[in-house]
Amino acid sequence: MTIAQEKIPVAIIGTGNIGTDLLLKIQRSPYLDCKLFVGRNLNSQGMSRAVALGVPISDRSVEAILETPDAFKIVFDATSARDHLRHWPLLKKLGLKVIDMTPSHIGKMCIPAVNMAECLNAQNVNMVTCGGQASAPIAYVIGKTQKDVEYIEVVSSIASRSAGPATRINLDEYIGTTESAVQEFSGAKSTKAILNLNPAMPCINMQTTVFAKVVNPDMDALKVGIEAMVERIKRYVPGYSLIVGPIIENGRVVIMVKTLGLGDYLPKYAGNLDIINCAAIAMAEAFAGRKISFEEGSDA
Amino acid sequence: MSRYDSLVEDCALSIGAEASTFAALGNTRILITGGTGFVGSWVAEMIAFLNDRHKLGVHLTLLSPHASEFSERAPHLAGRSDITLMEGDVRNISAVPTDTDWIIHAAGSPDSRIHLSNPIRTMETIVLGTQNVMQAAARIGALKRILVLSSGLVCGPQQWESAPLSEESYSGMDCNRLANLYAESKRAAEMIATGYRSQTGLPVVTARPFTFIGPYQLLDRPWAINNFLGEALRGGPIRLQGNGSTVRSYMYGSDMAYWMLRLLVDGRIGAAYNIGSPQGISLKELAGMVADFAESHPRIELNTLPGGELHRSRWLPDVTKAEKDCGLKVRIGLDAAIRRTIAWHTGK
Amino acid sequence: MPNILVSDPTLRDGNHAVAHQLTLESIETYAAAADAAHVPIVEVGHGNGLGASSMQVGQSLVPDREMLIAAREKLTQSKLGIHVIPGFATIEKDLRPAIDIGVDVVRVACHCSEADITQRHIAYVRERGKQVFGVLMMSHMLEPTRLAEEALKMETYGAEAIILMDSAGALLPPDVSSRVSALVETLHISVGFHAHNNLGMAIANSLAALESGATIIDGTARGFGAGAGNAQLEVLIAVMHRVGYETGIDLYKMLDAADLAERAIIPVIPTIKSTSIVSGLAGVFSGFAKHVDRVSSKFHVDPRDVFFELGRRGIVAGQEDLIIEVAQALSAGELRIEAEKVEA
Repeated sequence: MTIAQEKIPVAIIGTGNIGTDLLLKIQRSPYLDCKLFVGRNLNSQGMSRAVALGVPISDRSVEAILETPDAFKIVFDATSARDHLRHWPLLKKLGLKVIDMTPSHIGKMCIPAVNMAECLNAQNVNMVTCGGQASAPIAYVIGKTQKDVEYIEVVSSIASRSAGPATRINLDEYIGTTESAVQEFSGAKSTKAILNLNPAMPCINMQTTVFAKVVNPDMDALKVGIEAMVERIKRYVPGYSLIVGPIIENGRVVIMVKTLGLGDYLPKYAGNLDIINCAAIAMAEAFAGRKISFEEGSDA
Repeated sequence: MSRYDSLVEDCALSIGAEASTFAALGNTRILITGGTGFVGSWVAEMIAFLNDRHKLGVHLTLLSPHASEFSERAPHLAGRSDITLMEGDVRNISAVPTDTDWIIHAAGSPDSRIHLSNPIRTMETIVLGTQNVMQAAARIGALKRILVLSSGLVCGPQQWESAPLSEESYSGMDCNRLANLYAESKRAAEMIATGYRSQTGLPVVTARPFTFIGPYQLLDRPWAINNFLGEALRGGPIRLQGNGSTVRSYMYGSDMAYWMLRLLVDGRIGAAYNIGSPQGISLKELAGMVADFAESHPRIELNTLPGGELHRSRWLPDVTKAEKDCGLKVRIGLDAAIRRTIAWHTGK
Repeated sequence: MPNILVSDPTLRDGNHAVAHQLTLESIETYAAAADAAHVPIVEVGHGNGLGASSMQVGQSLVPDREMLIAAREKLTQSKLGIHVIPGFATIEKDLRPAIDIGVDVVRVACHCSEADITQRHIAYVRERGKQVFGVLMMSHMLEPTRLAEEALKMETYGAEAIILMDSAGALLPPDVSSRVSALVETLHISVGFHAHNNLGMAIANSLAALESGATIIDGTARGFGAGAGNAQLEVLIAVMHRVGYETGIDLYKMLDAADLAERAIIPVIPTIKSTSIVSGLAGVFSGFAKHVDRVSSKFHVDPRDVFFELGRRGIVAGQEDLIIEVAQALSAGELRIEAEKVEA
């Protein structure tokens, strides 16, 4: 039985697709209440949505939040890396929690299924990359269940349409960040990340393959661990599923996962963007005091 | 002499003895949208010069989504009391300061990489942005003029054999071709300005910029002159894929700023004016000049790849209208323009 | 008749044919022979280019760095070229060191609809003062006008030429002509073509490209390359000389180099096998061949069915992991392929 509690007030900076999708997810959350939705463009479709939902808006971006600093416990920053660099020092002073949706990676890397507890104390958490969210938990299981993980490689395929100009011009950064995340959560000696954009219509869903080079892999332990981890991830990313493996093929451990988006505001094929948003909501709910036990049959 | 001091010299050269033609600007307020780009930066230099040397008393507001970066690029301007930096994006502004007397609407990047990779944003900035600026401007009863920056591209391409493009030499463009998106967006912007001029009486003058050279131009912008300068500054060689017969012209930044301000003050309402140098030069000659003036005197390689010589084009403005209506001339020749640009980049 | 620039990726595309196991000795041997024949550009590396050695597409026997150093030493007249795919290769880890080693020409490649991802890599090569071409892979998957748009992006990024690749060997001569023409008409820079022989069209396609205004052409010794291989270089040179194109390549020495390649570095001379025909019809990247064979065998499915399904899904180069998913689905009876209904 869950005990009813006060929803905690949150704000979102950034009224584009990411911010608007977060807004809609928060409407469903029993733990979070979006009290302010801010950006620069009153004409954006996100702003219209917020108005329709009765959520207060402002086009003065972070300034609007600074005006009532005690009104929020958590702020989601869904603007840009450059803007977050400006926002963070201002928000830091207010002592509230910041969830960084941008690629600025100032704060602690947060993969809820793996390090939610450690992130509770951080004031700024960042959501890594889409490939990182999909693969780091898998890499973590490999690291935990196998001895001698020499190398882990992560390949993600995403729909071309879900990769905007900012993603395309920052591929190297995406690769670097994903490789760091996989390395940090698995302890592998070396890592590699690859990203493929596929323009096929209808738009493809996000798919991620994790390869590992393990001396004498323990496939039984791996299978149990992976299946449990996939269930954990499904608690906050319902569209996440295991499609292949773990198997050994051509001397490689192979695990393939697919991520279907929820389709709140972001289209369903944009599972790459949705997984980051789902992870952000999960972390925010944890900040709000939700105790997620990843065991069967406990808290929703 | 700091590199910024040389810009003051440039302004003096471009104005010559004609500072009095700016009398109408005296003690007024000018707003520039896209104010921290090439155009905004040079107009700011020109206004600073006119205020310092000729006590013109103009106040300049630079509206830009990158306003905070201006202090790094031009600290001597950003710190002035007669220049205000205003953070804002024309895609979503709803108001401009109501005490504005003149507007130069320069928002919109001429970088074709952005036009091709982010055509949606390009159109929003140019079309939606112009709509927003016009709407805000129409509420300022005492606005003296608004200069809308279009592009020399709106007339369509120049044929190899034909004369330089006058403001009336229109040819059609295929609006299903992505490559035409920027030019078509600028045409739409001109049309929007025309609509506002007619319905609200806004005092609109249109400028059609061609090609420019000078300090404040980022060398990674994809134009031949930038490639040549970049390669020369790195020691060369300067590489031309063809035989360099393509023809362009280049107007220096301070001349451009001078022309912009004169058109703002004296341009005929409802008219469009080409801004650029009528003096054509082939890319081969241009590369030669850059190589001569650059310290490294780099080698020039022509025809680096077979087939390059098949593509040649000519793009020159006919500026008779600006010359006749406003007495405008090019004062800084290409030699000086290149020398001064190289000096700027090498910090000498 | 115009001069044509020939680029020879025997030591790069050929690596696909040997699962990226080309030895240092092979590289040194062939590079020296190509240099002696005055082949203008000799391209060296893993089949999928710089930084591609991976579990996804196969690990190379020799690391990039050593391959390039070895080739650099042997090439005195010829330029050393590399193939680079953003998403696999990063500027800092891969491209910078390669240019430091002395690479002359960098060909930055992407799937033909995704040119935006090449901007920074192309700009970096220009900053380093090296020659850079843009490459559009799997060019059968876009129609000519769209290809020209993507090529134009690469031109604005600073590419000095654009190469169209028929990575699946799926094009026929009229398809090549329309694509090359569209680029020649739209761009201010040179256009090139890279053929694969899955449908036996490599030489004919290359000629069609030249006739449509391409001035850069790829070919490999004995056609040593992915899938059914590339345009057979020594044949292509001979035909070009017959028609009147100037390549600057010494015919006898080119023939010698190809004979040497056959003796010393090519274990199996490329022929058009059944799976290559199918992958050409299905429009699937030629480099998938060995992976599809291996995985199909493991899952006891017909590799031809796997190719048709990959083609139906529009799988692009670099997505080799999906072969496993498709093979598994076929094996579990979740898919049925009706070969006659598949669009060629």
